[in-house]
Parts: sequence; structure tokens; C-alpha cells
Amino acid sequence: MARKGMVIDLKRCIGCNACTIACKAENATPPQVFWARVLEGEVGKYPSARRVFLPVLCNHCKNAPCLEVCPTGATHQREDGVILVDYDKCIGCRACMAACPYEARYFWENGRGYFPEGLTPFEEVGYRKFQRKVVQKCTLCAHRVDNGLEPACVATCPTNCRVFGDLDDPTSPVSRLISERRGFQLRAELGTDPSVYYVQ
Amino acid sequence: MRVAQSHHLNQLTHLGAGFYCVSAVLAGLLLWGLYTWGSQQLIYGLGVTALNVPFYWGAYIVNFVFFVGLSAGGIVVASMVHALGLERFRPVSRIAEVLAISCLTLATMFIFFDLGRPDRFLNLLKYARPMSPLIWDVIVITLYMGMALILAYFSTRVDLVRCMEKIPSRSRFYRWLTLGYTDVSPRALARDKIILRVFAVLAIPGAVALHSVTAWIFGLLKATPGWNTAILAPLFVGSALVSGLALVTLTSVLGRQFLKLDIEEKLIRDMGKLLAFLIPVLGYFLFAEWITVMYAQEPARLSLFQELMFGNYATVFWFDLLLGLIIPFVILAVPGTRTVAGVGLASALVVVGVLAERVNLVVAPLMFRFLVPQITFYVPSWVELSVILGTYAVGVLVFVVLAKILPLVEIEEPASRRAGI
Repeated sequence: MARKGMVIDLKRCIGCNACTIACKAENATPPQVFWARVLEGEVGKYPSARRVFLPVLCNHCKNAPCLEVCPTGATHQREDGVILVDYDKCIGCRACMAACPYEARYFWENGRGYFPEGLTPFEEVGYRKFQRKVVQKCTLCAHRVDNGLEPACVATCPTNCRVFGDLDDPTSPVSRLISERRGFQLRAELGTDPSVYYVQ
Repeated sequence: MRVAQSHHLNQLTHLGAGFYCVSAVLAGLLLWGLYTWGSQQLIYGLGVTALNVPFYWGAYIVNFVFFVGLSAGGIVVASMVHALGLERFRPVSRIAEVLAISCLTLATMFIFFDLGRPDRFLNLLKYARPMSPLIWDVIVITLYMGMALILAYFSTRVDLVRCMEKIPSRSRFYRWLTLGYTDVSPRALARDKIILRVFAVLAIPGAVALHSVTAWIFGLLKATPGWNTAILAPLFVGSALVSGLALVTLTSVLGRQFLKLDIEEKLIRDMGKLLAFLIPVLGYFLFAEWITVMYAQEPARLSLFQELMFGNYATVFWFDLLLGLIIPFVILAVPGTRTVAGVGLASALVVVGVLAERVNLVVAPLMFRFLVPQITFYVPSWVELSVILGTYAVGVLVFVVLAKILPLVEIEEPASRRAGI
């Protein structure tokens, strides 16, 4: 089975957060929950200082630490490497949040939406698929991928920073990018083997 | 002996104003905790706690590991009395066993309060995944609780039978507590002794497993450098022994003072000596971790220790080190200060010191896990504090009620025991 993965070209990223918003729009995640987000930082000193951006999401690790510690098996891995949470089994112990080296997991507690007046029609429909008081995370847009589409963050990126594809196929664009431009993984020294690669 | 014995039985049946006042206050606190939990956390979720990124685990888990550790005292004393035959510790063995059982119960309660979906608590059994350290903890806590109950049952049984005969008004209740096994013939007592010895010996590896597995919930997570160290399991065993013994000692001192329990001063001083022997072991584990981090200068761990020593958590850290380890050690090591009051004060300091250590072990490392450290300070919300206070009240209340059901110091009746009543 093909292992789904992503390559993020940091040279192309302009830090516009379109991926953050596309993920919000696609998955209707509640406030303070960001399945996809962009970390920002500064390197160097004036006059050679510059801003750097690091788009992050769940890495869908091959050896996922969150999967190992889950006491009920609510966190599970599909054959294509996608890590998902079964909301019906999760007891909300948050061991996976403590285990994740990438802070990719979120806990939606109070059930409140973005506006004090109550849930908007969009939120009402969007939040239906979630459950309160359990852990949730990026699904690598499994519902889109299964229908032959790319994840929302990939489809939206205005600079074509993100490439999605099959990591097992050496001729796929992702595999070629990784080998040609020496792709690296975040905190690779932990041996988690993420499915999200970065090139610089 | 006659006098001492009737004194003990009187204490059981006499429910004074003090008992009712203390119970009422405790019941009030319990209801307050239950009310805040039900009206806040159960409805609005963990959002009413101060738990937030990066503090996924906070006061509840701190108290969980703290109480799992405190339960060790029961095993220290039980193994000394039943496995090693150190009979002079027998007067405090009942207190130790009762404390072990109530501490484990409280630990389980804290796990329950920490869950986002406590209604799915049984999913831990239904969908148990053997790879998860949390499941190992479920198994080992259950086994350990079973052993503690067996130890408590077989060492209390004879006293229950005696109470059954001496307090006719409660005879039925005591018979029910003995589970119908009321045989106190020399043969039955000899059999009890063997069972006690077997389980007291088994409880030693059981205790090591319990505290190690609890440490591994944190220690096996490689994402958090502050947790992922091999010293964590020995450190948890050490902290458990020290805090557990300190709690038994403190309770014995308080029981001697307020419940007029028949515990000799010499025994209290001996327990102080034992504690003075164990404290340096814990200090040594902490030092071994500290020197490794300081010498290696590995950024993630170094920044954690800098934060602990000079940052937001410095108060907690130095409190643990000075008031929780060094000062109690000095009090206990100097013969002049090793009085009943001195031992009581030192053990109280040790218990609070280990609680401070648990805060630093559980909470502080969570700040140094991702690519960018997130230096913030976690203070529990009023909901968390109310629930914790209520749970503490449950623990004390159980102890106070048990003090009126069980003779907290075994009823000595050597002559009649030989005759076999």
C-alpha cells in the first residue's frame, strides 16, 4: 500500500498562513485548534536578520509515539500511514499529547465556537463530526485523499510550497524532491520517521 | 494488658464531639469538591482547569503520582513486620496498611478526574492496548491493590474476631468484615502468618513494579527530554519509599497525640532513623541526574534545569531541596532533635517536599518539548484546587471512619492467643 506523504519547500514559503485558513475552512476546526499552522521566528542580527517560517502539521509518523502510548487504541494507523483518532474510543487521558514530539494534537473542551453569540450555521454543521473532551488532530484530509483529491493545505498553497504524494514510489514527485534536494524530517533523531518532509 | 485493651475498644465505640466535628468539616469539603466537579468540569470539560498548551498534565496527575508514591509506606512497614519479622514495627503496621489502601484509592480517583471523558473510564479495560504504559499501570495498580487488601485482611482478621466478641452491638458488622472466616485456632493463625509472609515478600517486587511503571508513563516518552531519563524509575521508587514512610510516621505521631494510640516513643524515633537513612538515597538519585545534565550541557535538559534552579519553578525546586530533604535529614540525624515532635515535623516536611518534587517532575519538563521552548507558569484553577481539596477530604475521612471501625494498633493479647480463644 502506498504511504501517503508530503514535502514542504521552505524556500518557497512566504508565511501567508493560507494553509492554516484552508485547513480551518475544510475541516471546520474549533477555536484554538490548528491542525495546520505556521511557526514564525527570526534568525540573525540586523542588518542580516530575516524572518523564517515553518509550516507544521501532524507528521503521520511511521513509528508514531502517540500510537504506542494510547491506552485504548483510539489512535490508530491506516495502511497508507495516516494516523487517525477514533472519537468514540478516546477517554481523554492526553497521553498522546504528552507523547507527540510535534505538538500536533488538540483537545477541544468547552464546545464553544468563535463568536459569543453562539455557533454559526457553518460551525454547527462543521463541529458535528467532532466530539468534545477528546483528542483530535490532522487527518491528512483523509476524506479528500480517499476521493483522489489533495489535502486542503496542499491545494491552497499560493506558492506551491507543498507537494503531496506516494513516498513508497521512487518516481513520484515527493520522492524525487526528497532525493534531489535532500529532504529532511523534523526531529528525525527521535526515530519517529515522519511522513512530512522539508526541503530548503 | 486488660487496661490497654479496653482503652482501645472504648476508642472504637466512643464517638465524641471531636469525631463529629472533624467528620462534618471533611464531609463539607468533600461535597464542595464534588459540587465543583459536577457543576463545572463535568459540564464544561477540562477547559475550566488551567491545563493548556503545553501543560497537558497538571495538578491532577501530580497528585496521582504523589499518592501512588505515598502508598509505598504500607509496603515498607508490612514487609518489615511480616517478611523480615521486625516485630517492634508491628504497632504501626495497621496504620500503614490503611494508608496504603486509601492512598491507592485516591490515586485512582485523580486519574478519573483527569480524564476528559470519565464516563469512558471502562474503555481502559474494554479496548486495552498492551503496548501502552498506561495499561501497564492499570494492571499493576490493580494487582498491588489486591495484595494490599489481602495483607490488610489477614493481619486484621484476628482483631476483627476479637471485636466481634467484645462489642456485641457491632457483632454482625464485624462478622461481615471477616468474610465469615472467624477461625482463630493456633492452626488458623499459623496459616495466616504464612500467607502474610508470602504476600509481604511478593509485595516488595510489586512495589518496585508499581512505582517504576508509574515513572515509565513519563520516562518512556522520548518527546520530552526532561522525562526521558533512565533515572526516572529509580527516582520514583526512592521518592515513593521516602514519602510513604514519612506519611506513616506523621500519621503515627498524630495518632499518638490526638487519638492516644499506644505507640511508644522509641518506635517513633526508630522510624525517624529509618527515614534519615532513606532521604540521602533520594538525594543521591537527584544529584546523579543533576550532574549528568550539568556536565553534558545538552541544551534541552540544561534549559530545564536552569528554569528549575533560577526560573519560575525555583521556589518549588529549592523548597523541595532545602525544606523537603536537607532540613528533615538534619532534624532526624541529630539525636537531640529526634524527639516525637521533631520526627513529626520532619516527616511532614518530607511529605510536602516530595509533593514539590512531583510538581517539578511532572509539570516543568512539559515546557521543553517542541522545537521552541514555551516558558510559562502553570497555576491550578480554583476548580482543580476544589476537586483536589475534596479528594484529600475523602482520604482523611476514610481514615477517620476506619479509626472508629478498626483498632489502629493491634490488640495485644499474648496469653489468650496462646490459649487460642
